[in-house]
Amino acid sequence: MFRVDLHPTHVCDCGKFRLRMGQPLPFGATIVPGGVNFSVYSHAAISCKLALFNKHEKKPFCVIPFKDEFRIGNVFTMIVFDLDFENLEYGFHMDGPFDEKEGHRFDKTKILMDPYSKSIGGRDVWGETPDWDDLYQHRSRIVFDDFDWENDHPLETPVEDLIFYEMHVRGFSKHSSSGIKHPGTFAGIKEKIDYLKELGVNCVELMPIHEFDEFENSRVSPATGKMLMNYWGYSNVGFFAPKAGLAATGKFGMQVDECKTLIRELHKNGIEVILDVVFNHTAEGNEKGPYISYRGIDNKTYYLLTPEGYYFNFSGCGNTLNCNNPIVRSMILDCLRYWASDYHVDGFRFDLATILGRDQNGAPMSSPPLLETLAFDPILGKCKLIAEAWDAGGLYQVGSFPSWGRWAEWNGKYRDDLRKFLKGEPGMVGAMSQRLQGSPDLYRWEDRGACASVNFITAHDGFTLYDMVSYNQKHNEANGENNGDGSNDNYSWNCGVEGETDDPEINRLRLKQMKNAAAMLLVSQGTPMILAGDEMANTQWGNNNAYCQDNEISWIDWSHLEKNKEIFNFFCKMIAYRKAHPVLRSRTHFLNKDYKGSGFADITWHGVEAWNADWSPQSRTLAFMLCGMHAKGGTCDDNSVYVAMNMHWDAHSFKIPKLPDYMSWFLFVNTDAKSPNDICAPGKEKKIKNQSEFLLGPRSVVILTGKDNK
Amino acid sequence: MEIKTSTKSGSTIIEIIGSLDGNTVNEAQEKIMPMITSNNVSMVLDMKGCGYVSSAGLRLLLMAAKQLSVQNGVLVLAGLSDEIKDVMEMTGFNNFFKTFNSVDSALDALRKGV
Repeated sequence: MFRVDLHPTHVCDCGKFRLRMGQPLPFGATIVPGGVNFSVYSHAAISCKLALFNKHEKKPFCVIPFKDEFRIGNVFTMIVFDLDFENLEYGFHMDGPFDEKEGHRFDKTKILMDPYSKSIGGRDVWGETPDWDDLYQHRSRIVFDDFDWENDHPLETPVEDLIFYEMHVRGFSKHSSSGIKHPGTFAGIKEKIDYLKELGVNCVELMPIHEFDEFENSRVSPATGKMLMNYWGYSNVGFFAPKAGLAATGKFGMQVDECKTLIRELHKNGIEVILDVVFNHTAEGNEKGPYISYRGIDNKTYYLLTPEGYYFNFSGCGNTLNCNNPIVRSMILDCLRYWASDYHVDGFRFDLATILGRDQNGAPMSSPPLLETLAFDPILGKCKLIAEAWDAGGLYQVGSFPSWGRWAEWNGKYRDDLRKFLKGEPGMVGAMSQRLQGSPDLYRWEDRGACASVNFITAHDGFTLYDMVSYNQKHNEANGENNGDGSNDNYSWNCGVEGETDDPEINRLRLKQMKNAAAMLLVSQGTPMILAGDEMANTQWGNNNAYCQDNEISWIDWSHLEKNKEIFNFFCKMIAYRKAHPVLRSRTHFLNKDYKGSGFADITWHGVEAWNADWSPQSRTLAFMLCGMHAKGGTCDDNSVYVAMNMHWDAHSFKIPKLPDYMSWFLFVNTDAKSPNDICAPGKEKKIKNQSEFLLGPRSVVILTGKDNK
Repeated sequence: MEIKTSTKSGSTIIEIIGSLDGNTVNEAQEKIMPMITSNNVSMVLDMKGCGYVSSAGLRLLLMAAKQLSVQNGVLVLAGLSDEIKDVMEMTGFNNFFKTFNSVDSALDALRKGV
């Protein structure tokens, strides 16, 4: 069918291109029959020009003003016909007031990236030094939005069945030891899918993949002489474009297809994809920062400003996105819908999400409209929504993040309590009992369920698991900030010597502590998250804030896999055990009662004495039993599981709760035993001789499976 | 870019010489798509003279192959450079295609019914 409203009505001044008024929605650049529809919002601009470039060229080949009649409300919109859009880059010149007090910073000389750019040029190959003389650094491009999904669909795995695996796209496979063809890219992860399957994780959480500038604040480290970069990428240039430099095909401008291909192939293998999204600030920094887009398009709309017109800095990165401004709110919603529908992503983890709940003056709101909108949005209806429930402005909302029953949280208290218990601090058993059952003290009050808690011991931010048992103090000297950056509250313990050692006893203890941590994480209710590389004892040599280290400090060294087979094997089997036992994966919190008539409550607490946990301040021992008949709220039948944890430096004998006569206890894990007796394949557990008592070595975890005798 | 067509062993061979990109894809589409009929059940795209295929070019190849498969035909690729093959793999365009080193090996396979 032909449309009558797609013929040109005007010609641009140079006579090369035919034009007509465009459609205001969708925002951004959209391919339409015969041309491209451009649409951009600005509340305060008085005029706008479209600058068209051939790829990589400094000077535009044409600059076309939006005619007055092409403006609808506060939207400039125009269709330009006959463009070779594959070779095209475009930007805007916006004219308007420059009045800092009023919050306006228009500068019509700047070329501004489209906030809705689906692809962004300028940093096509990671680390390739940009042409700093180019006035247009981050360049909007047009993408084909079609893709052969081959019937792919987001997996919609129940959140309680997920095992998150947090990774940096580049750091995961960039190291020369990764042994793949396209290290450090989306394609590289695709090459490692078999590895992910062997490990058993079923959801990758990708650290930022939106376009960012690795050269933002790049500098040479005075400590090491190496270049420091914005490696992690928690600083968005654009929200709709995958970072070209993370794609092996970025140099051809094909990062969109490469990223979608990765997601499709992960889905084929049963692995979900969660994106770490950064809506709290942009890469434009404070008033001294560059004009990339938002500042020059509508500063007052996009940023939280002080009454004097300066930038609020709740993000710790110079500016704060004005998330509860209706325009920005819409942009965030459009962005998430785009990634959910066009990229089939399965969910989002929101960096410093507390900022998303601040009002336009920066004050926290009780029912933030943005968070509510996301919770109830129809397109995001099956997406996982996970908040990092704190910000750099001091607002800490773990357990109180507004959720509407939809939002989960990175549970920072889980991390801290588990670390303290693991290193043998006294007074932790009470807190641990909460953490092990999905933190009902934090999440029960609004019936949020156990899966409101994303349980993690390590994440990109902080020590790796190996470093957590090898360093008492952070060692961030290579970051060039006199070791002043990064957290001092690590609750880590080096097991006797700071850093690398040849002492076999210390190394054995470290290995055992890593196994203890993995065991506790994977038997905890809530959704576990593993930091990529921890399963092979990857080290950052004590650096707990490797945000700027694009080198061996933060790249996973795959040679650890061979060296540390024992911990890898332990992780694989623990993950398989969690997957095999629904009793470990309850969606709801336990009721602490026997509602199935099994003779056991859903969860019961024990210690050195069965049925009598030691809750005293000096206690470092705790055990619990999960009744298999109460698995997943009593909806399915499973074996029972008994977990005993002795974080004391001496051995202790634990009395085990007695099972009915037709059942016995079988040994799955004993972290005190040497490999291969530390863990077995799930289902291959051996019956223990003494069914009433088990001697736990110092600082060790035992897991027993309770099942029929036969 | 230049397109040459011929017939061999009952298959249509389309040779693409030059780059298949935003500048040339429309012309290529106009030439290739009309050939996709129920009369041409097997086609070989000879890519040995093609040094670069852009996003638009990859889409044309996929569209042609899918269109032909709807008509119970099959389109295969021959003589792809390693780089194009690699890009196709990374961007997910390879799944739908069988690729061969040369036109002759493609024809061989078509005879045997790939």
